[in-house]
Amino acid sequence: MAEVILRQVEKQYSNGFKAVHGIDLTIKEGEFMVFVGPSGCAKSTTLRMIAGLEDITAGEVIIGDRCVNHLPPKDRGISMVFQNYALYPHMSVYENMAFGLRQQKLEKLEIERRINEAAETLEITQLLNNKPGEMSGGQRQRVALGRAMVRKPDVFLFDEPLSNLDAKLRVSTRISIAQLHQDLKAEGQNATMIYVTHDQVEAMTLGDRICVLNQGRIMQVDTPMNLYHLPANKFVAGFIGSPAMNLIVATLIKENEHVYTQLACGTRFLLPDDKAQKVSDKIGQKVWFGMRPEHISTVANTSQAPSEQGDIALTHINVIESMGNELYLYCKLGNEQIISRIPFNPDDSVKHNEDHYMKFDMSHCHLFDIETEQALLY
Amino acid sequence: MTTQTIPLPRAMQQDEKSTLTVLLALFKQRKTVTNGVSKSIFSKSLKHVFLIFSGLIMVFPFVWMLMGSMKSNDEIFSNPMNLFPEQFRWESFIEAFNSAPFGLYIMNSFTVALFTTLIVIVNSAMFAYAITQLKFRSQTLLYFVVMACYMLPGAVTYIPSYITLANLGLLDSHTGLVISNAASVFGVFYLRQVFLKVHPSLIEAARIDGAGEVKILWAIVLPQCKAALATLFLITFITNYNSYMWPSLLITSQDLNLIATGIRQFFIAEGNYGLNWSQIMAASSIAVLPLLTLFIIFQKTILSGIADNGVKE
Repeated sequence: MAEVILRQVEKQYSNGFKAVHGIDLTIKEGEFMVFVGPSGCAKSTTLRMIAGLEDITAGEVIIGDRCVNHLPPKDRGISMVFQNYALYPHMSVYENMAFGLRQQKLEKLEIERRINEAAETLEITQLLNNKPGEMSGGQRQRVALGRAMVRKPDVFLFDEPLSNLDAKLRVSTRISIAQLHQDLKAEGQNATMIYVTHDQVEAMTLGDRICVLNQGRIMQVDTPMNLYHLPANKFVAGFIGSPAMNLIVATLIKENEHVYTQLACGTRFLLPDDKAQKVSDKIGQKVWFGMRPEHISTVANTSQAPSEQGDIALTHINVIESMGNELYLYCKLGNEQIISRIPFNPDDSVKHNEDHYMKFDMSHCHLFDIETEQALLY
Repeated sequence: MTTQTIPLPRAMQQDEKSTLTVLLALFKQRKTVTNGVSKSIFSKSLKHVFLIFSGLIMVFPFVWMLMGSMKSNDEIFSNPMNLFPEQFRWESFIEAFNSAPFGLYIMNSFTVALFTTLIVIVNSAMFAYAITQLKFRSQTLLYFVVMACYMLPGAVTYIPSYITLANLGLLDSHTGLVISNAASVFGVFYLRQVFLKVHPSLIEAARIDGAGEVKILWAIVLPQCKAALATLFLITFITNYNSYMWPSLLITSQDLNLIATGIRQFFIAEGNYGLNWSQIMAASSIAVLPLLTLFIIFQKTILSGIADNGVKE
């Protein structure tokens, strides 16, 4: 029930290493914000600075209307769910959930009411007398969620809470967390949630907005759809999406009033007019040419020369990975390795170690500046 | 053992060479497994023999003392290596107990050791918690200072400690004994190592839950280190219970004697050396009883170790 604002937040360790470089971010009240990025990008450090578990070198962390820089974790109105559950091993589930409430000096009846309510929501009522050692990973993580819930915090912090679960449990617990957010919203609690993960699927499915971090800097903050379809820079384009976006160095050339992206191997693709207009000042320059795997499809042998069509290239298929419902084709285009994702069709004649024509859907292409790596088309 | 030639199926014959290679590899693997099993049995037996031998060395003086207490004085000297007495003489125990106030000495030792141990545990736990879980400047330096104290021979501290206690008016008192032993460098070192194993996320979770540092130490850290606490309790208790040199310097009143100084005074210092060995052994056996009882009580806790620590690595 509180807005979280980070203003020029920095973190520098005593050995001089700067982990966080002046982050500015506003997380709206009731929003589900996901921090995502590769290992070492400072997403957990940022979360821990919000929690008060890590000192801030410079900047301000504001929760609600208070600057909490110098407040201990207990006074920040937060609850945290840890990657390794962090349940007190010698206490029962009930005691684990009651521990924080007892520190708040709540009435015994109120403690009991809150625990029973949370236990019912998370379906752990039958586990209340068990100790953490007697439970599975999924059950422990639900207890950790319950412990965070009963405190009724303004802000929930999740530090990679599903990383230690197997794939199936991860999905069900992910749904539980999404459900919890919706339920709290429906009850009018409107809890703000900040969730750290390196898993894109978690980020895309859970987040109202996603903050992509790299090397202690924010790369982009946007909705999952915008991050996927309109990546602000090459890093986000390559990081979001699986398989990753194909990114190839190309040169923008103009011929007969048409603008093409020409690869090192000579293959060239015709840019649609609306996109060509946006890069008219970059003609003759090198750019990063990006194309998502699902926008590269196979075509039957074409009667026209590929160069005449402007969106077809001859590739050599090296490897085919079958996902059941779709195929990943790892192809060679000149010296570049590209990936195509196509729906599985038993009638398709796609074979590995064969040359094949591929169609590049140029209406979905992305271009990034070769130096700044920023998007050029939007 | 006879060897049989097994004809390969037709399908396998096509790739006979590779099949044979696989069979050869399987045979080699089996041989390695067999070798591995016999090696493991041999090394296990060796370990057991070593442990039994070490155990016997440890227990021999105690058994010899216990048996000696039931021998006559002449029998002890005429054939010291004879473990079992010709005749079990239980009266040494009664004579020893009647000749000196051993009940009082055992009680003195027990009380001093108990209070010292409790204070040592509280002190060490707080110190170890501070240097492992709190962040402050010169944290490492402080730890090194503690470790440097560990290097000091105990005897070096006798004179300064004696003068300090004299100035405090605590000579010849149990309070002086307890206070002078109330800080244990070993305790700090040992608990530091144990507390380092407590997962930091548990401490962080407790801080977020709103617990203060003392509460975290008491309610979160210590319950997870029961085995280590029991071990430290036992070691400190035994050390203080058996303490001889320092109490003999500090205590001068007869009724304040601890058990070790008491035994020495009554059976050795008063010119009876060489005459009452069976009684000395009987008195020593009686003195050991409280320690044995304590060990039996704590044994289960010490062996239980730390089970599940509530976090997933």
